[in-house]
Amino acid sequence: MKRIALGLALAAGMATNVAAAPITINLARFFGACENAGTDTHTTVGEACIIQSIINAANEKIPGVKINTLPTDWGNYYDHIKAMFAASNPPDIFVIHRSALPEFASIGALADVGPDLKSVGIDTSDWTAGAKKAVTYGKHIYAVPMDFHANLWHVNMDIMKKAGLVKDGKPILPHSPAELLAQAKQVKEKTGKDYLAADFSQFPIGVRLVLSLIWQQNSNIFNGHKATIDTPQALNAVEAITQLFKGGYADPKLNYADSQQAFLNGKAAVLVNGDWVVGDFTNQVKKPDVALKHYYVSTFPQLFQSPATWADNHTWAIPASLKKHDPKKYHAALEVAAFIYNHNLDWARTGHMSVRKSVLNSSAYKALPHRSEYIDTPSIAKDVPRTVHYNKIQDVLNRNLQSIWLTGKDPKKALAEAQSEVQDILDQ
Amino acid sequence: MSGTIRHRPRRRIADRHVAWVFLTPFLIVYVAFLVYPFFKGLWISLHHWNLLAVAMNPDAAKWVGLRNYTHLMWGRGIVWGPLSHPLVQLFALAVAVGAGLLHRAGRTNRSFMITLIVAGALVFFLLGFTPGEGGRWFDRRFWPTVGNTILFVALAAPGTTIAALLLAAALNRETKMMAVFRSIFFLSQVLSVTVVTLIWQIMFSPTQGLIANVTRIFGGSPISWLTDERFAMIAIVITTIWWSLGIAMILFLAGMQDISAEIYEAAALDNARGWKAFWYITLPNLKRTITLVVVLQIILHFQVFGQSHLMTQGGPDDRTQVLVRYIYQTAFRDSEIGRAAAMAMFLFVIMAVFSALQFFIAREGEE
Repeated sequence: MKRIALGLALAAGMATNVAAAPITINLARFFGACENAGTDTHTTVGEACIIQSIINAANEKIPGVKINTLPTDWGNYYDHIKAMFAASNPPDIFVIHRSALPEFASIGALADVGPDLKSVGIDTSDWTAGAKKAVTYGKHIYAVPMDFHANLWHVNMDIMKKAGLVKDGKPILPHSPAELLAQAKQVKEKTGKDYLAADFSQFPIGVRLVLSLIWQQNSNIFNGHKATIDTPQALNAVEAITQLFKGGYADPKLNYADSQQAFLNGKAAVLVNGDWVVGDFTNQVKKPDVALKHYYVSTFPQLFQSPATWADNHTWAIPASLKKHDPKKYHAALEVAAFIYNHNLDWARTGHMSVRKSVLNSSAYKALPHRSEYIDTPSIAKDVPRTVHYNKIQDVLNRNLQSIWLTGKDPKKALAEAQSEVQDILDQ
Repeated sequence: MSGTIRHRPRRRIADRHVAWVFLTPFLIVYVAFLVYPFFKGLWISLHHWNLLAVAMNPDAAKWVGLRNYTHLMWGRGIVWGPLSHPLVQLFALAVAVGAGLLHRAGRTNRSFMITLIVAGALVFFLLGFTPGEGGRWFDRRFWPTVGNTILFVALAAPGTTIAALLLAAALNRETKMMAVFRSIFFLSQVLSVTVVTLIWQIMFSPTQGLIANVTRIFGGSPISWLTDERFAMIAIVITTIWWSLGIAMILFLAGMQDISAEIYEAAALDNARGWKAFWYITLPNLKRTITLVVVLQIILHFQVFGQSHLMTQGGPDDRTQVLVRYIYQTAFRDSEIGRAAAMAMFLFVIMAVFSALQFFIAREGEE
């Protein structure tokens, strides 16, 4: 009896100890590494440092919670996450795109956080409609939204001015593929510079560009289980771009880093890239060795019938296993998500758009650099229909579009092959 | 005498026990980390096995027999013809016939000729398969990926061997300076693939790379090495040669230092110096080392992954997509680990063939 009592006392002692020890939350994210980001969320610059400063602040301010940021890189991020799930050791909280969410949610990998959001002070009525849709799969909410991001038209105003393409302090945007070509010609003739730079050779920026132009013609790349890539609309979209390559007004061989460099070095009038570079470029412009001096950000132009640009969301998800087996840790992970969510304005400094109505309407948000220039972007956001095969389909498009502009393949043939490959995926 | 006879079996048993004691740690590691994963891989390759779905629910794996293999390697309406890939097929046929004739004339190494005949005939036969009218491969990317991998090996293995051989010949001197150079050239070998590819991505960059800057000085326009279909494969081969030069060079240096100085002295008396001595003395004496290096390089380069994954992402348009990267993508991006395991088995067979080749060549050398 004495032994049992002693055992119980010891067990009770251990239990108290466990309760007192901080809960360690393993957090996975991309956005790049930032050492010494500190905990001041108001002064950091660029995606990597802003997100890390928010995480560091959460680590400091949420009582009893210690956050361990796992090292992962952008290119292999989802491979890494899947491998962790396969090894039954997923991160306790991780960033996930709206486009990638169905693959995880459809097999029950993500926790249904909807019913628990109130407990950490998240009011879903403050979310934009797009944000709500982004994190919902079926009837459940599987993540906490962090931002909305889209492809933009980044402009070097000095080059545009020299080419006579500025009116009332704003760049004149093209309204058709023909106008696009005419502008490109004008820029080349008057300044000797390229009109457009983008990553057409590695990451799928070129894919997103072509997709936007397909959507602008009210078409899409698949409809239900039917691939619809070999269409006149897709061909129009591709030709709107390839005419720039043919004329020597853009270089399809630039990759992500080189296209950014070309724009910053003042070698191209326009850069097509996401909103995530806005904060960084705003800072770069101030440096004396950067050729880009007058930077303007515009909503993606409308070249066909309706406006559209590629867009996605970053959201934070928690594994279903955590909610089921370790409610305490699950709650702690949710608190971390809420902390990040509450720093939505800080995150918006990257250039990303807020997902909270209260932030969007705040004067502080509207006063962020260049924000007013692309304020219309959320209203023209589009994407492919939701699918568990998003990344695979994107890769098919990337390879086949590359074959057009990097290896000179006939666009019609390439689109037919892309259609057949995507159909194979949809048939699985 | 009788005492010895009585004792021998007991000693033999004791020897055997001792042997087991020494072997057990190796065997445990070997079985746990090589034999078991191999058979598990084989097992997975016979299933429709979604990485995420099976992680959530172990019953989600579905037995499909050899369907993963047929999906990869076969197609609809596949026909055979002697001229499906005329250039390669005719070349392979010429190699096989040529080797056969030389073998009959009895002028060359027997096993080498037999290997050439078998390899030539196999290439001729296998490349004869192609989709007929209205037909298609089930997996359009698999065979082109295999082709890219073979092209990579065909460039990187001889490239590394020749470069390492020339370097070793130049550095095979007993001076302090040469020792420093040897260390410098070996240094690249110790770097990880991420560092190596980062260095070379910067080197090859058309906007800020060293090569582009040098080209500009001479008035040329820089090449986009990593995104130009003509140069992407060459670029990753150059990177690979630079990276894997060290070990090959050290092996050659060791081989060269084994060649007796007297042979060179005798050759020098016959006026064979420099290039002549290298051709007539060094090369023939290094034959076995060269074979070893070539086979090791072949086995190593079939497993290329990082260079393609990090420098070109398999592009442009899959021109640098290699087998291990396809396995990786299929397993982790597409979650189709069953199909990926089938591809891994295919790679295993290729490497097993080259390992067997090395084994036979080494044995023949001993004989």
